[in-house]
Amino acid sequence: MSTAIKKAEYTPAMPTSRDLSSSSATGRGRRDGRPHLIYLAIGFPPAAKSCAYRMRETANQFRRIGWDVTVVTIASTSWERDSGVDYSLLEQVDPGITVLELPLAREDLETDIRKFSEERALRPAKWVTNLRKREKKVFPEPVFGGWRETIENAVLGLHRQHPADLLLASCVPYVNLAAAWRLWETHGVPYAVDFRDGWSIDVVNGGVAFTEESEAGVWERRILDDCQALWVVNDPIAEHYRDRYPHIAERVHVVRNGYDEDSVATVQPRRPDPEKGLVFGYLGTVNYNARQLGAVITAWRKARELEPLMRNARLEIRGHIGAGAAREANGLTELISTAAADGVSFGGPVLKAEVAETYASWDALVLILIGGRYVTSGKVYEYMATGLPIVSVHEVDHDATRVLDGHPLWTGACGLDEERLIDSFRSAARMTAEATEAERAGVRAHAAPFTRETLMRRAVEQLAEGVVRSGADSTGVAPPPPRPRMTDDSRQAGEVRA
Amino acid sequence: MSDVLLVAGVPPQPGFLSSAVHRLQKAGARVHLVGAVDTEDLPADVRLDGLCALPGDIAKALPARAAARATPAERVWTRIRRERWAREQARNADVLVALDPHAIYAVWRMAQRNLGADARYGVQPAVQAVIGRQGTPPPGALQRLANNLPSRRMVRRNLTHIINSAPRAAIDAVTARPIMRSKAGTKLWLAAVRTPKIPDRLRTKVARQVAKGMDWADRPEGEALILTATAEKLRTPVSRARMLGDAASRELKAGIPPQDLNSAVDALLAIADERHRAGKQPAAANLLNRAMKLAFDRVLHIDRLTSPLAEDPEGFTAPFRNSLAATTVAAPRGRKQPAAPPPTDRPLRLLIATSANDNFLKLIRAHYESHPQVEIRYLDLAADSKLKSVTWAATQMLEQRLSAEETPYGANAEEQLRPHLDWADTVFVDWCVAPAALFTILDPGTTRIIVRLHSYETLSRWPYMVDFSRIDDLVFVADHIKDLTTTLVPYLQGPDAPRMHVLDNAMDLSGFQIDKPSDARFQLGMVGISQVAKDPLWAVEVLRQVRRHDDRYQLLLVGGDMNPNVSVASRKYLDTLNRELEELEAVGAVRRFGPTEDVPKALADVGVILSSSVREGCHCGLMEGAASGAVPVVRDWPFFAGRPSSARTLYPQGWVVGSPEEAAERILQTTATEETWRAAGNEASAHALGEWDWPVVQQHFDRLILGNHVV
Repeated sequence: MSTAIKKAEYTPAMPTSRDLSSSSATGRGRRDGRPHLIYLAIGFPPAAKSCAYRMRETANQFRRIGWDVTVVTIASTSWERDSGVDYSLLEQVDPGITVLELPLAREDLETDIRKFSEERALRPAKWVTNLRKREKKVFPEPVFGGWRETIENAVLGLHRQHPADLLLASCVPYVNLAAAWRLWETHGVPYAVDFRDGWSIDVVNGGVAFTEESEAGVWERRILDDCQALWVVNDPIAEHYRDRYPHIAERVHVVRNGYDEDSVATVQPRRPDPEKGLVFGYLGTVNYNARQLGAVITAWRKARELEPLMRNARLEIRGHIGAGAAREANGLTELISTAAADGVSFGGPVLKAEVAETYASWDALVLILIGGRYVTSGKVYEYMATGLPIVSVHEVDHDATRVLDGHPLWTGACGLDEERLIDSFRSAARMTAEATEAERAGVRAHAAPFTRETLMRRAVEQLAEGVVRSGADSTGVAPPPPRPRMTDDSRQAGEVRA
Repeated sequence: MSDVLLVAGVPPQPGFLSSAVHRLQKAGARVHLVGAVDTEDLPADVRLDGLCALPGDIAKALPARAAARATPAERVWTRIRRERWAREQARNADVLVALDPHAIYAVWRMAQRNLGADARYGVQPAVQAVIGRQGTPPPGALQRLANNLPSRRMVRRNLTHIINSAPRAAIDAVTARPIMRSKAGTKLWLAAVRTPKIPDRLRTKVARQVAKGMDWADRPEGEALILTATAEKLRTPVSRARMLGDAASRELKAGIPPQDLNSAVDALLAIADERHRAGKQPAAANLLNRAMKLAFDRVLHIDRLTSPLAEDPEGFTAPFRNSLAATTVAAPRGRKQPAAPPPTDRPLRLLIATSANDNFLKLIRAHYESHPQVEIRYLDLAADSKLKSVTWAATQMLEQRLSAEETPYGANAEEQLRPHLDWADTVFVDWCVAPAALFTILDPGTTRIIVRLHSYETLSRWPYMVDFSRIDDLVFVADHIKDLTTTLVPYLQGPDAPRMHVLDNAMDLSGFQIDKPSDARFQLGMVGISQVAKDPLWAVEVLRQVRRHDDRYQLLLVGGDMNPNVSVASRKYLDTLNRELEELEAVGAVRRFGPTEDVPKALADVGVILSSSVREGCHCGLMEGAASGAVPVVRDWPFFAGRPSSARTLYPQGWVVGSPEEAAERILQTTATEETWRAAGNEASAHALGEWDWPVVQQHFDRLILGNHVV
């Protein structure tokens, strides 16, 4: 693998669907008999986002089984104003993958004031509110709705150049679904959806995010009715979708995030040295709230006072904080800076290539997660695979709890209970000294089935097989997929769009 | 090395600032800071290369006219640009950085002047900009000069600004408060707005800005003067009408009766008529509504001792009677079917409707809720947002009445109200205001509609928006209110007018019968002093008169004070009252009881109950006082005095007096001895209980509501 990826050229004047009416997704456009996947993966490397790993592995797995893969994402420069870029992520991208970068960027995260209108400069909050309203008029998603036309045209253009056999839409953003629907509606190209966390469910707070009658609800039902498969990251989310749409229950699959083996391959436990100071670490996007971080810092401070092993301990927080103007400069960084005297520090993001090295410099890990039973996160698998003791700071009824259950070097979940968090830190400190190599090996073995490669390989093979099976007939020529219910639904889609 | 200028609209958190400065310096920048900073909280480890610390509240309103209107971002910029140091740094900086949303505009403005600088929002983008400049040679002197030439965009913007806002630019200099408060200033601006041969658009713009200056100088009458003078010079009738309307409404808003109300109303009605004839009903409705709101503003009729409407009802309402649009609105639509007789095979379904105010409904509701022959529903139109939105929607109502076709509002009203009309056999709408207008927008089918008009409604615009042809029974609380209403609404004098009834308010008076102590004989009392119309000064004068004979007489004022802010008349009245009371309170001759829920208790010590009002419907406080055994002394309410119906016809002979002197005479006479006082009190109490107590009035209501209805 190398960092040199193939880039498709974006042409603003993409053809309309009428121009494409002669081509279809029957496999007639296949190059050398290879099926073609259009993969809507906004967040694909080099975006320094947690979803980048899943996307990269998904694309790689399709390549591995012989598919042509065209990834559609947004320009790398657009991520610079978002959560940043990490070009080392490209090292593991299969060089046969083609990437189409669309000239899209989140307007609200623009930080170049020269590009602001006077109105925006005068009333920035009102400007953003109006922008959200405009976005929602195009598609019921406030931040990305305005991207709809560009993504739709890009997908149609790609299909014209190289007919697709399958479209896989990874969400967020959900506006990808409009493009998936458009290609299905106009050319009958089957599609699958990787919701990861799910749209109609509020994974952070629990409960339903929108009703079935809402505009988003209508879109979700329409998309899922005809999808080949729906991927989500854990069982509770899958249950939600199976309950909400019983008729697609069999097409809902749990595809866990897993971890990248190379992220932990070189983690060799340090020799803990309480005199020099144990080092606890957090690695991941800092997306939790100030209350949660405040609880961590308070418990940390008290644990340091109470636990002799932690007298000189340090807590290093690494990862991305904030976006746009607030990047690495929000209330959380302020909170961290106030705890500098207690050995708490923020060290900024870690390049993917340096992840293993970073873990290797720590004695224990702190797993801070938002949400509850619907949230798993990817880092829990990676944490587990390091073989290091883990302090959990998340709800007891959290999907990470289910993943970690039985982990011998885990201090257990206790929500934000201060006393129990203090105990957790102290237990973890003791574990660093007392854990045997056998215990660490056992932990790593427990994590082994969760390598991203293993999980995605299975999911991709299953999806590809389904598509190929449904598309192949006895002559060996792929027949058309089940026709979309064009007329009425198309009209409805148009209405929703309007 | 790059120079970075950080701009803060609000004081940055110490840790945040420390980190920002550190990161920028690490990236190789010299860091300067201007804006809101708490210097005491400045972290010790922050080593700024330059600092201009301004107060922490620069984004908040400042006591300057421009700043009061400005956004927080503008305020920050206005404050920062006054600093020479900041201007110089802004010109020379390589990277301009807004630390918070309020600072963005200042950086945006600085960037217009410093074309070579990067302008960023946030610290990380600033660090990237600094890193991005590394290796770039610093600009030479010529380049720096070029960088500081204003951008074309800025030149264009400023030119437009100057052209568009010449008067605004002038106003800050020439309309300062002292000038606007001086006669010379007013004359100057009057001459300016009257200057001949100025286009309407420019004249209007100048006038509005000068008017704002007057407003800022607390001179609403000057504001109106400027607008009126301008209106006279405007060529377009519409602009003229609107300008006159604005002048009048500014005065009313300030609590002053407009100097030229008639011109404003006439002009607005003329344009409304024209729009109506042209089929432009939304515009016609809007103008008509404006005219009505001006003519019937409470400052003119409610919050003062006189009302032009009460003084000359026909004259005052003549412009509306002569207006095509207003008469179209008032034109009766009638109903397709007459109201059905009450059902005989089931209880009568009675819907009682009001909008929030149920003060006079409680006894009625309670009575019919337990009545076997009635099934009752209560509808508070203000409690449901959908109903509320169709109820208090005067302009849309007017548009519906002006339109030949059903408007979206009409359809909405139909949708909201029809289920209620379908259910009810009889609807009782309390208060002849928006709910009555709403219910008569629709053809009620066979449902009987009863509307009760209390008093103040006659002084409002609502009776002109009610379709009385769709009302079966119109209930008044007194004959004089009925007379005034029929004078104002000609339809009510015609053959198709609804049946009209006079029914006393529902009051439970039995609870007021409390034995009074002997010394109550010298205690005068008034219930309710919260409006100018109650005219407590008249009662004070009565008190003075009786105290000349016997200083044992005292006055008890029950109720909350009037609000001085509703009108200038109210404010002046309250000032006078307070001055008058100060001396009397000092010697214990007047006591203020304040607002109370327990009126019977307040009346227990009152021996003489006064009604000093200039107008009333039926004075409940007086009636309650009479029921308690206090001797009633009623002023012949000036709004109605001398007319066929007045206080004199509402109350027994002897209770009503024409002047404070007569009142004093009656008081001295009836309270001459305890025996005479108690006798007069008992007589009054017997009359009140016999005429106005709920068991009596209830029978009148039953006759109205149920008629001969028997299941």
